[in-house]
Amino acid sequence: MIEFITGDLFQLIWNGLFVGSFYALVALGYSMVYGIIKLLNFAHGDIYMLGSFIAFVLLGSVIGFLGTASLPILLLVLLITMILTGGIGVLIERVAYRPLRNSPRLAVLITAVGVSFTLEYGVRQIFGPAPEVFPFRLSGESVEVLGGRVSVPQIVLMVIAALLMWVLQLYVMRSKEGRAMRAIALDPRATLLMGVNVNRVISRTFFIGSALAGAAGVMAGAYYGSIDFLMGFTIGLKAFTAAVIGGIGNLYGAMLGGLVLGLLESFGTFVLGGEWRDVFTFACLILFLSIRPTGILGARIAERM
Amino acid sequence: MTNTPRGRRVLASASIAAAAAIILAGCAGGIAGGGGSDADESGPIKLGLLAPFSGSESVFGEYMQNGAQLAVDEINSDGGVNGRELELVAEDDACDATASVAAANKLVAAGIEGSVGGYCSGATLPTLPIFSEAGIPMVIPAANSNKLVEAGLDNVFLINGTGTQQAAATLEYALKVGATRVAVLNDNTDYSKDLAVSFVEQAEEDGTLEVVLDQSVTPGEKDYSANVNNVMSSNPDFVVWTGYYQEGALITRQLVDAGYDGPILVGDGSVDRKFAEIAGEGYTDNVVATFTQTPDMLEGAGDWIGDYEEAFGSEPGPYSTQSYDAVRVMAEAMTDAGSTDTDAVIEALRGLDGFPIFSGPLTFTPEGTLSEGGFAIVSIDADGTFVLKDDLQS
Repeated sequence: MIEFITGDLFQLIWNGLFVGSFYALVALGYSMVYGIIKLLNFAHGDIYMLGSFIAFVLLGSVIGFLGTASLPILLLVLLITMILTGGIGVLIERVAYRPLRNSPRLAVLITAVGVSFTLEYGVRQIFGPAPEVFPFRLSGESVEVLGGRVSVPQIVLMVIAALLMWVLQLYVMRSKEGRAMRAIALDPRATLLMGVNVNRVISRTFFIGSALAGAAGVMAGAYYGSIDFLMGFTIGLKAFTAAVIGGIGNLYGAMLGGLVLGLLESFGTFVLGGEWRDVFTFACLILFLSIRPTGILGARIAERM
Repeated sequence: MTNTPRGRRVLASASIAAAAAIILAGCAGGIAGGGGSDADESGPIKLGLLAPFSGSESVFGEYMQNGAQLAVDEINSDGGVNGRELELVAEDDACDATASVAAANKLVAAGIEGSVGGYCSGATLPTLPIFSEAGIPMVIPAANSNKLVEAGLDNVFLINGTGTQQAAATLEYALKVGATRVAVLNDNTDYSKDLAVSFVEQAEEDGTLEVVLDQSVTPGEKDYSANVNNVMSSNPDFVVWTGYYQEGALITRQLVDAGYDGPILVGDGSVDRKFAEIAGEGYTDNVVATFTQTPDMLEGAGDWIGDYEEAFGSEPGPYSTQSYDAVRVMAEAMTDAGSTDTDAVIEALRGLDGFPIFSGPLTFTPEGTLSEGGFAIVSIDADGTFVLKDDLQS
């Protein structure tokens, strides 16, 4: 009996952490962009979708050429996709957001929604509304851990996600460019006066955030196997929630928020049933924000980012 | 927030829209000058087709439009109906109750004399009073929620088996393979929920097997591990999924990965070649589905598939045949009636006796549903197509 409970418990935690690491990767982009220019980039989830479609095309041509694919090839595709989605993120900022930088916040928000729809239905025009099947699947054995099932692909993906977040953390906290980002989050005008090229730093932020979302998209494609033009919508909303739970604008908050959201969903489904999951999760969000409006790690308001 | 695809088909919005529809329909009657029956008698007979061409279900709109267009072309090349040509007018309902109301009014204003559309039950429901007010008979090819029947309107005919009939076929098969503990998952849309509720009711009434889990999942996601975990905890020997293939294939894969090795039965919304592709090789050996028989399962339908591919350059998909049949049924009734007069056409639809359609000979019940559900059990073969496994006739 006790073993049954620990087995279930471990499985719930593992499931939650696995989904949560996807949320965290996407939430990071949300949070960084908000931290720096106070924009809720609703098109961010669609960058995740674009990432999976770019990898779909790349992998498809690699497989057409070599006849097969493997994990190293997937990692290479992941890298190329990250660069491409990063570039698209920069382009979107340049075309859609920068001209509106000094407009009312609402105008930029609506533009972001517009960008989101443009990306979704643009992809729909090219690939059609039916889901596409990802050409390469991560597959592998499942192992029993503490009575729960953990599969090798899950471990691989979580390691990749953790690595990406670790590198990002190093970059933002240790490098000169990272310091510039944090400075802009603190006070854009003063940073400008200090001689920092604010536009370049903002572009870089969009690049990094979009690259991470693209990476999550590739990973989702390789793990779940089906991609569609609306797949970014739900995860975008979830990542936004994760960012808010963790404390929007805060780097560690986004990571923690993603994991917490994954766990809330996992336990909510188990205790209350699937149909109550979103009610439970979002009720927690409301409760959370009314008790702690800045999110879990939002207290360090003096230095957001 | 933005207009979310999730929850588009929830009943709450459907009923609000239905209320709005009744009000709008009053106005529309005035604009359209009484609707179909008064339309110009010399021009083509316009048939309206509401289907999703945008949004999450948009993949089905094209299948339906092509199927219907094929029938229209065939009938026109045979001389049309009562000496008049048929013309198909398609509108996008986006599988959304609000959009479908607007689209239905547009069709009424365009002067259609029959409706041969309706895919999402939640989006089709609020259009019933609009077409009813305007005196337009409806032959609904795909939507099959019991709520459409319960509306009790005499202009509404369903040529897809209803949820109740499909649920009965599901139960019949579960009993046949000796299932004792059944877990049921639905995706909270009208169609899916309806099927699940109906199955659970019939299973409880029958009493032979136990429903150990009856829950909903959120459509449009990729990770269903939390729901799968609940299924595994309930320890079932038979799993029923009543939603669409996009989620069904993911759930199947994740169930098998979690160690489930019993049968998984899916509803007709999951019958698509993509199901096996998404689930992946080796994951669909235990998957069966309830389905009305499709062209490739029927004798002599090879020609039909060939015609379809020639006309549209793509393979027919789910509900292509039903939409094709909806047009033929409507045309047959209009021919029998000798006019497009509302009452005469409805009378003629009721009078159809054994009219051949893909799912078998068609005779309507007094409620306007098929007298024979026509559901069979299909399984997935090695190359991913659904093939007939058990026609449930014995």
